[in-house]
Amino acid sequence: MLRWLAKRIIAAAIVVFVVTSLVFVVTHIFTDPATVSLPLEASQEDRASRRAALGLDRPLSVQYWDFVSGLVVGDLGESFFQTQPASKLVFERLPATLRLVAGATVVTVLMAAPMGMLAAWWERRFADHAVLGFSMASISAPPFWIGYLVIIVFAVQLGWVPTFGSSGFKSFILPSFTIGLASAGRLAQMTRRGIVEELRKPYAVTAMSRGFSRSYTIVHHTFRNVASGFVTMTGWEVTRMFTGYTVVIEVVFSWPGVGRLAVEAIEDRDLILVQAAVVVLATMVVLTNLLVDIARRLIDPRVDLA
Amino acid sequence: MSATGGDGRTERLLEVKDLTVGFPTRDGTVLGVDGLTLNVGSHERLGVVGESGSGKSVMGLAILGMVLPPGRIMGGSVRWKGENVLDEAVANRVRGREIAMIFQDPMVSLNPLKTVGAQLRELLQRRVGLEGSAIKQRSLELLDMVGIANPGDRLKSYAFELSGGMRQRVMIATALACDPTLLIADEPTTGLDVTIQDQILTLLHNLSTELGVSVLMITHDLGVVAQFCDRVQVMYAGRIVERAPIAQMFADPQHPYSGGLLQSVPRVDQAAAELAGIPGEPLDRAQFPPGCAFEPRCVEAHDTCRVAPPPLVKIAERRWAACYNRPGEASK
Repeated sequence: MLRWLAKRIIAAAIVVFVVTSLVFVVTHIFTDPATVSLPLEASQEDRASRRAALGLDRPLSVQYWDFVSGLVVGDLGESFFQTQPASKLVFERLPATLRLVAGATVVTVLMAAPMGMLAAWWERRFADHAVLGFSMASISAPPFWIGYLVIIVFAVQLGWVPTFGSSGFKSFILPSFTIGLASAGRLAQMTRRGIVEELRKPYAVTAMSRGFSRSYTIVHHTFRNVASGFVTMTGWEVTRMFTGYTVVIEVVFSWPGVGRLAVEAIEDRDLILVQAAVVVLATMVVLTNLLVDIARRLIDPRVDLA
Repeated sequence: MSATGGDGRTERLLEVKDLTVGFPTRDGTVLGVDGLTLNVGSHERLGVVGESGSGKSVMGLAILGMVLPPGRIMGGSVRWKGENVLDEAVANRVRGREIAMIFQDPMVSLNPLKTVGAQLRELLQRRVGLEGSAIKQRSLELLDMVGIANPGDRLKSYAFELSGGMRQRVMIATALACDPTLLIADEPTTGLDVTIQDQILTLLHNLSTELGVSVLMITHDLGVVAQFCDRVQVMYAGRIVERAPIAQMFADPQHPYSGGLLQSVPRVDQAAAELAGIPGEPLDRAQFPPGCAFEPRCVEAHDTCRVAPPPLVKIAERRWAACYNRPGEASK
């Protein structure tokens, strides 16, 4: 198990390295941070001096080495506009995003698992159709729209929770719920389909032929067998949250997280800060996948140890 | 083998009458089992033989009142010691405890994520009501009974750590956990090596004798039937076409389909000759002929056969056939 874990961690580190290098390539080869940060009418001299000031006139290999050696010690360069280390800006915002994603994940799992099991239990009956209807609605509705909707209803009309910001537990409910909703719809359908499929498998038929009820068989036999897939899918949803939902929802709820920081940095054309935010979010994605691998290993003894 | 049969000397345990199971398809409802009638007595080993798609496996589950959706039981009755098994309350009591089933593929019939011990414990705790150390003791006893060496170690094994033969032995142990009176074995040796097949059959045979468990053996393999059963029913297209004691079936099959089946089995005790097959393909179940289902492939078919399916009639003592060319005793 330890050897396996060490291998997974090394693999994850390699992925982080590759991803961050890709980010570097996109920022430095396909675009030019200096030009982007200047007004369109800036003169050639302005650009050259900006390039020199940012060290962008050095050979690409030197810049890349700088970038990589900075990464190792957590240095992600300096923000153009805020003249602060980009890593400091990002890490200040990271806890808020992590809280949001954690909350949304809890909402997702607590909604999806019971809904999926109920739908499978009452396959092709009313509860199944109801869960399907809910899932389709939650998948089709864009999260930002749900976000505005719940703000209008729960914050403005009912006044139960604040409309924006992150101050205490109450402000945390609506954004977590908004993100969790979309993920829960997909995950509930996947759980339902997984259980219905498992229920047709010989081991489940055998369990029922021994006199175990359908509900017992779902909870004690099939759910464990879909748990591995459930964890994997939950991981994907968490990934989506880091790379998509948090960005949109943090803006909608004025949530001071990395997603909103990235949007602000894009508006400021602060490519170094964008790059830092993307590197950190991508690292979160890789860490999520690592956690999923460990969880699957714990659930299913057949997961290859190699 | 003990002489048994539906002749009144044994108690009738299972009585299935006109059981019909339908599966909705785009072309209308296909009958997986069509008016099935069978009885199993105490201490009896009955074989049901038929080719793939003849409805054997659907029948096995339907006897327990189980049909995989979207199929459903459309008619008929299943009685266990006089009680209606198609009633869910009765079924819940009978399943596992009185009638236990073992399945074709032991590779996938055991829960892949539970140890052998956990699967036995679950049954002994919830279906038998054992507690504490009695569970472990009984688990070891069961594994020992089915011939598993080092049962203590095996309790901690997962199915994927066992060989095919071992898995089927574990399956049999879980089936016997609740002391059932009838064991339904659905192709229990298919997919196993020939030597392992033989061991499993011998094991089942010995257990059924020692424990007094009746067995309903569902198989496509006439060799299994010959080795194992007292009585056999031949199934074709969801219907029983012939029913006979084992010796008579092999000596003198009455239905043309049974005859064809027997001729298509290679024999080592006879001079090598061209192996005979049954002409034609197994039926596409969506296109039932109105008459005898075997008529399109039958060498003895005539006009009457195309009108309506022949009823299963008694043609001699303990012998039944569903064929217009084998008139019943009454019409002789």
